[in-house]
Amino acid sequence: MGLDFVGRGVEETDGNIITTTIDKVVNWGRKNSLWPMPFGTACCAIEMMATLASKFDLSRFGSEAIRFSPRQSDLLIVSGRISIKMMPVLKRIYDQMPDPKWVISMGACASCGGVFDTYTLIQGVDQFIPVDVYIPGCPPRPEDLIDAVLQVQQKITSGASPKGVEVVV
Amino acid sequence: MNEEKEVEEQSKPLVLEKLEEHHADSLLAQDEARGTVVVVVHKEQVYAVLEYLKTDPELAYAFLVDITAVDNSQMESELMQFDYARFMIVYQLYSFQDQCRVRVRVPVHENDLSVPSVTALWKGANWLERETYDMFGINFEGHPDLHRILMPDDFEGHPLRKDYPLRGRGERERFNFDKQNV
Ligand code: SF4
Repeated sequence: MGLDFVGRGVEETDGNIITTTIDKVVNWGRKNSLWPMPFGTACCAIEMMATLASKFDLSRFGSEAIRFSPRQSDLLIVSGRISIKMMPVLKRIYDQMPDPKWVISMGACASCGGVFDTYTLIQGVDQFIPVDVYIPGCPPRPEDLIDAVLQVQQKITSGASPKGVEVVV
Repeated sequence: MNEEKEVEEQSKPLVLEKLEEHHADSLLAQDEARGTVVVVVHKEQVYAVLEYLKTDPELAYAFLVDITAVDNSQMESELMQFDYARFMIVYQLYSFQDQCRVRVRVPVHENDLSVPSVTALWKGANWLERETYDMFGINFEGHPDLHRILMPDDFEGHPLRKDYPLRGRGERERFNFDKQNV
């Protein structure tokens, strides 16, 4: 793998010397080792587990180091229904993750409440925490989750800030 | 074959026979739903009836499957039957000995929402009664720790009552992150 960032603002000269910027190298590192914090509260979490397991193997994309501590992770995967009692917990976990951090809202429920238009369910977690990538589906297939992780990676490579970060210019 | 079947259908389930013998004045009605015996019991005697069903050695309905309630406020036909009692508390019991079930229903009026707690008979009733309290506002007297189990503590109302709006009263759009004890 190594030099897959050559060509995107990275110059390879003769011999073994490359020139680049710190940002590019750091982003390259971040992109290839996203550590997800799984927030699986319902059926979508089963698909997330499948994505992490051997058959779909998210580790092919550098994201297999699932952390169950928000303080060690930089990608929050919200997969499942979030009730009004759970939302403060989710918010707290999001707040505990160190910057920079990205959020994937997996499935219809996390993104908009899904079929559960009821008194107890948050109609989209983006009302309370910033979401970078939404995945439609009920549940989405593992390929969809992989695609979402790749989109987060693209976002990182492109240098765009995560949705939750205010950019001071 | 046919004759045998008829005989089977005619014979009264043991649980009904015994209840009629020992608790005849507690029984408001009896019925059968998909092979399960259903008895409607007067609120004042429900503890005694459940205790009898649990401890009688011939019946031994020792396993409490579920406690829940039904809000009949929009079911005129049900309301009429039991003197316009709005709620029906439902106890579902199972006997490992005979491998059969019995359902005990208790009509409860809206102006007197308390029924005796059965936590002394079954420890497992604790959370079931808390859920019924949370969802319907039924007050289980003698429960050791009766407070909400599913909804947040500061939630107002009882969401499985028929007059509670499906989309709630705005709880899901506005809530205070600071106030919640996470
Ligand atoms: S979107 Fe579908 S699969 Fe996912 S949590 Fe909701 S109901 Fe379950």
